[in-house]
This record gives sequence, structure tokens and C-alpha cells, in this order.
Amino acid sequence: MNLEVRHLAFRHPNASSDLFSDVSFQLPAAGFHALFGPSGVGKTTLARMLTGDIRNFHGEISRDGSRRVLYTYNLERLPGWSSVRRHIEETAPPARRRQAGELIAEFGIEGCVDARFSRLSMGQQNRANLVRYLLQEFEVLIMDESLANVDELTREKIILKIKALFPERCFLYISHNVAEVARFCGRVLVLRAASKAPQVVCIQGADQAAERPAPPPQLLERAMLEIVHAA
Amino acid sequence: MLLRRIYQFLMIYALGIALLLALKYGLGLSDYVVPGPGEIGRTAAVYAGPYLLAVLNTLAVAILGHLLAIGLATAVAILGRLTAWVGSFIRTAAYNIQAYPIVAVAPIIFILLGDGLASRLLIAAMICYFPLLLSFIGIFSEPVSEIEHFYESTRRTTWRLQIKIRAFENVHKISTVVVGSATMAVVGTIVAEFIAATAGIGYSIRIALYQSDLAKILVALFLIGVVTSLYLVSLEGLGNALQARLRRS
Amino acid sequence: MSVHPGSNLKHAAAIFLMAGFLFACGTNEKLEEVNYRLKWLYNVSTVGDLYADARGHFERNGLKVHVKPGGPERDALKELELGHAQFGVASADQVFRAVAKGAPIVVLAQLFQVNPLNWIYRPGRTPFSSPDDWKGRTIGVTFGGNDETILRALLARYRIAEAEVDLFSVRYDYTPFYEGRVAFWPIYLNAQAVIIGDKLSRAGESFGFVSPDRLGVKFVANSVVATRQMVERHPETVKRFLAALLQGWREALDPQNEEQAVRLLAQVDRETPEAVVRRQLAVTRELMLPAAGVAFGKIDLDAWRQTAEIMAAQRLIPAGLPVEAMLVTGPKPMP
Repeated sequence: MNLEVRHLAFRHPNASSDLFSDVSFQLPAAGFHALFGPSGVGKTTLARMLTGDIRNFHGEISRDGSRRVLYTYNLERLPGWSSVRRHIEETAPPARRRQAGELIAEFGIEGCVDARFSRLSMGQQNRANLVRYLLQEFEVLIMDESLANVDELTREKIILKIKALFPERCFLYISHNVAEVARFCGRVLVLRAASKAPQVVCIQGADQAAERPAPPPQLLERAMLEIVHAA
Repeated sequence: MLLRRIYQFLMIYALGIALLLALKYGLGLSDYVVPGPGEIGRTAAVYAGPYLLAVLNTLAVAILGHLLAIGLATAVAILGRLTAWVGSFIRTAAYNIQAYPIVAVAPIIFILLGDGLASRLLIAAMICYFPLLLSFIGIFSEPVSEIEHFYESTRRTTWRLQIKIRAFENVHKISTVVVGSATMAVVGTIVAEFIAATAGIGYSIRIALYQSDLAKILVALFLIGVVTSLYLVSLEGLGNALQARLRRS
Repeated sequence: MSVHPGSNLKHAAAIFLMAGFLFACGTNEKLEEVNYRLKWLYNVSTVGDLYADARGHFERNGLKVHVKPGGPERDALKELELGHAQFGVASADQVFRAVAKGAPIVVLAQLFQVNPLNWIYRPGRTPFSSPDDWKGRTIGVTFGGNDETILRALLARYRIAEAEVDLFSVRYDYTPFYEGRVAFWPIYLNAQAVIIGDKLSRAGESFGFVSPDRLGVKFVANSVVATRQMVERHPETVKRFLAALLQGWREALDPQNEEQAVRLLAQVDRETPEAVVRRQLAVTRELMLPAAGVAFGKIDLDAWRQTAEIMAAQRLIPAGLPVEAMLVTGPKPMP
């Protein structure tokens, strides 16, 4: 296992109740997985714990072989002093710069990357931001609503592209779209309120990939029902 | 913008003069208390030239002092963001020192540095330094997390990059503070000259006050207003050009 | 000792009635209120003004006088014209500048018969026997102040070109003088001169004073002023004010009343030690009553004329101002 969380408990300072009472789950070293749950349940906090930004919790997070856990969210911005393309190129490790062009084209932002970030639409901004993260060195990338404001078809194309290009890496996709996570994710970690036990339920998704035929509708429906039921 | 600024200043000035003249003629006051238009005109004819040079002298010192203050405030604010303690210490010290009236501090400076350029420069810088410093500390200590997050996650953050991001994101605020403090620099220089220097328009005003010559003071105020407006418009223009250039894609 | 209760009662009743009468007199008698704006803060140059107030001379003349301190930002002449004050103290140069611009100011009494402005110097370093000794020296001057006018008058009188001396703009910081960068420093004989002299003495240095008056430049200093309308429309008030004021000054300068005068000044000026005030008072006495028989407050017409000529020569005022017309000369009212 790549990422393992055991009996994690946490309460925000000055909060009256626990956010996490006993969170435990495992994630494999590679694959496209999801963290699903209602708003305010603690998805972002959990992500920050996985990256090491939040440390004052009880329990254990084991990141064997996952030294670099990156977290990206949909409100991030690129600095405005030069074009998006220049930023992406400047921040990409030299070995990955060639891949930048491919990602830009596949993500459908070729026409706008020569403008400054503030000129882009929100969907374009999120895609540009995701591109620069994908070009970094990491073992785990947590994508918190990273494809918000992107149309469904493009989102599908991007997710499939990510899965095809980075099969050896682990992605944890935070989204509120049940159908999307059920269809594209291998494991769907459903995070629930601290009062529920277990606090995290792991559901098997359809894990659709470009090189495989689309999953049968029954499989998808069952996964979706399980996710909704667990949440 | 230049025309509008000058036009607005002229309106305010004319209104002030009109009020004074209304008072003069309403109460039947002599030219000693409020000079008549003729007296003001004659004084302007004689003193506008030398006073303009004095105002330019003051402005030169104010600009130098302003630049000094901007440089120093930037440096200290950058140091101040290193740790919360240093930042809070600098902030407290700045608030305290800012509370001292310049009329009390200036004589000490003049005793130490004499009444030459150095003292005027220091006082001009001092008077606009603390507001700049407090703003800059605020700007440079406040993370722009939605931009900085990426650099921190990928361990690319350097202090230069952090300052660049925060300065860029707050360029409008910085521009406003710089323009606002420019007025303070001019006023500070004039006060310093009034208290202890031997050059500049503040010194001329002091002499005019000795002589109870309000006409001279009115001429000086007019020139200070015009020249300061020009300086502020130039600064605003510079700030706008910079922002426009940054915005241009 | 015998006790007479009846007699005590009578005494008590008499005291009670008397006190009641005095109280009634004090409250029923309507005092005329006037404002009197001084030229400077309370100091030895205002001792007579304070004395007249403290000893009740104004009240006895039917006046309630608010003796207000002056200062660098105050101009008694403007306050007179604006009606904020009815009487004031101003220097002759102020009066001439105001009159030249149409201000209806008249002079009621001249406080200083000799201008207290001198230049202090150290004979050990820069000896002085005549203004020729100024040549090549640095002389302190307050540009715009009346010491500039007096110095220029002295230079003109002794035919010294401005290029032959170095003029140094002075402020309240005496460091350039102590350091010897400035050889002659303007100073008021009855004020800072006593303090600076002490410092120099303590440092083992001798010092002297250049007196413009002794060099033939009579430039009038502080005088009591009012508006012409005040003098014409309220001559009685002016007369009573002047009577009380001059009595206050005469008494304050009388060596017999020195203790009271010093104590009075100590109350309003806590910064200056009493010993210093005592010596300042002695100098003030000499400047205000330089010769026996001189009536306090006398207006020295010749000195006023010379002051006007000096100012006109330096183009500070137009020539030909009617000097006599602005001076209320003649015998001063007595209480």
C-alpha cells in the first residue's frame, strides 16, 4: 500500500466537536481515486493532513514510497506578471517541459495560454493550474475540485488523459459529482460525519480508462447507489 | 488627470481667497490682517520667482526623502516578515515613533545634523516613512495563499519570489500609499524648513510670518499647491502606467 | 482675661455685615472686560502686566483684564483689528508694518526705553570695539526678524558691506555659538543673556554684549498698543487701563517690590530658576528705566522716527509714514 491512514482523530482548535473521530483507509500506490463527501465534512482538512500541512492530529498517516504528496485546489491562481504558458514552462522540471505542450493541447487551453492568468475563464484557469501541477514531481496528487467550471465532456477527456499519461501515480480526486467519481475512479473514499462509524467507507468505482471499454451501466449504477447510500 | 487636478486645486484656492476677501471687506479689515487683491498681485509679481525656486528646492528634498523612505520601508518590511515577532516589534516601534510630533523631534535632528540638507531630508523621510512602513509590513506579511501555495508545495518559495508575488498582487494599494505619503513628504519638508532649515519654502514662510505678511504666505501656498499637485499627478501617472503595463497581456 | 459674650456677638455681627457689604460690592460692581494680548509667553518682559493684574490694579480701575500670553503664532495687532483683544503688546517694526498696510493702530506706551536685543560674543576669541571688528566674522541673525533689520541698520551706519561679514541664520539652538562657528549671536539681554552668560562663565569663558543702542541705532522694542477706534470711542477705558498697567509696571520694577515680582513670575514660569529671574528683573529695570527721572512708558519720539527711517531705508515700509500720528504721546495717566 502506498498511503495508509490509521485511527486518525482531529478537532479544530476552539471547535466543540471532533471533525474526525476514527478515520482509517488505504490507497494503492497508483490509480485514480476519489474522496467524496458532503460539504464541511473535512475533505480539505484530510487532504492537508495527507500533504503534511496539518500535523496536530491523533493517529497515523503512513506514506511509504509517497514522499511527495501535492495538493491543488480550484481557487489557485498563477502570478500575473507573465503569460500562463511562460509560467507553466518556467515551473516545469526541464525533463517535463516537452510534456507541457501536449497537456496544454489535450486540456483544450492552447488558445489562451499566451494570455495572463486573469484573462482566462474560470474553467480555463483551473485547467491551466492543473497542468502545472501534473508537470511536477509527485507520487500523490490531491485534486480538490480541480476541474470545477469545466464542461463535462472536457472533464471526461482530461481525466482519461491523466489516467493514460500517469498510470504509475496516485491521484485523489475531490469532487461532488457522484456519477463522475463512480465512473472514473478506482476507489471512492466516502468521508462521513464524525458521529458515523466507520467514518470512511471505501467503495469500488468503475475505473473507466481510455484503453478499456466503457463499464456497463449496471456497474455504474450500483457504484453510484453505494456511494450515495454511504454518504 | 493633470488638468483636472490643477483645476480642482485652483477652485479650492480661489474659494479660500474669496472667503478671506469677503471677511476683509465685510469686517473692514486692513491689508495687514488680510491683503487685498492688489497687495497679493504686487507680492506675487515680486516673490513668485524666488518662491517658485524655493518650492522646487523643497520638492527636490521631499522627493529624495520620499524615495529614501520607500526604500527603507521596503527593506524593513521585508525583514519584518521574517518572523512574527520581528514584524510585531517593528510595527509597535513604528506606531510609537509615528506618534511623536515632528516639531518635537526636528530640533533634536537639527542639533545633531545641523540645518543643512541632511536634516531636511531625514525629517521628510521620517514623516512619510512610518505610514509607508506600516502599509508595507501589512502587504509583505500577508500571504497570497492562492498563488503562493503552488510554490510552497513544490518547494520553490524564495523570499524574493514571495515579495514579488505580494507586491504584484498589491500594486494598487502600494501605489495609493506611495501617492498618499508623497503629500506627507512635502508637508514634512515644509514643516522641517519652517522649524529649523535655512532654505526651501518652509523657511520663506517662516520669514513671511515674522513679517506678518499674509500676501507672501498666500503666494507661497499657491505655488506649493500647484507644484505638489504636479508631483502627485506624476506619481499617479507613474503608478497607473505601471499597473496598465502589468495588466496588459 | 475676661470674656464678654455680648461684645463678641456685636463683633461677629459687624464682621458679618461688613463681609456681606464687601461681597455685595464685589458682585454688583460691573467690571468692564477687556482682553490684553502680550507679545510673548509669560516671562520677565511681562512682569508689570502680571503685577497689575495680581495686585488688583485693573479691578480698582473698573476693569476685568484677561492678560493672555503671546507667542510666535500670535499677532496682537491682528487680534486688535479683529476685535479679539482691546489692548496688546507689539514691537515697533510690527506696528510700522501694520500701519503701512492701513491697520488703525496707535501706540499708548513704550515698555522698553532701550531695545533688549544685543549680540553676545567672546572677547577672548573675537574682540569687539567697533562694528569694524565684525568684518570677516560670522554674525548670527534671524532672517525676517527685527534683529536682521537692526543688524542691517548697523552695517549701513558703519558702512560695512554685507559681503564683508558672514550672516548665519540662527534658531533656538546655540550650538553654533558655543562651538565658535558663529562669533556674534543675537540675544535678549534680559532673557537668555543671563542663562547663556552663566554657561559661559561656568566654562571659564568671558563674554560681552554688542548693544545697538550704544552704537547709535535706536530701534524701538515692545510697546502697548490699541486701535484708533478704541482710543477715540472708549477714551475712559483706555485711560483706566493705562493707569492700572503703568502702576503695575512701576511697582514691579521698584526694587522694594522685587520679592513679590519674582514670586509672581515663579508662579507663571516654573522653568526659570528664581535666582535667574531676579537677575533678569534687574536687567529689565535698566532697559525700561535707564535713567533716573525717566517716566515709565515714555514714548521716545526720536527713537520711533529712527526706527521708521531704518525700516524705510531697508524698504520694509514706505518712507514718510506719519510717525507722530500713531503715537499717543504726552503725560501718561496716573492712578
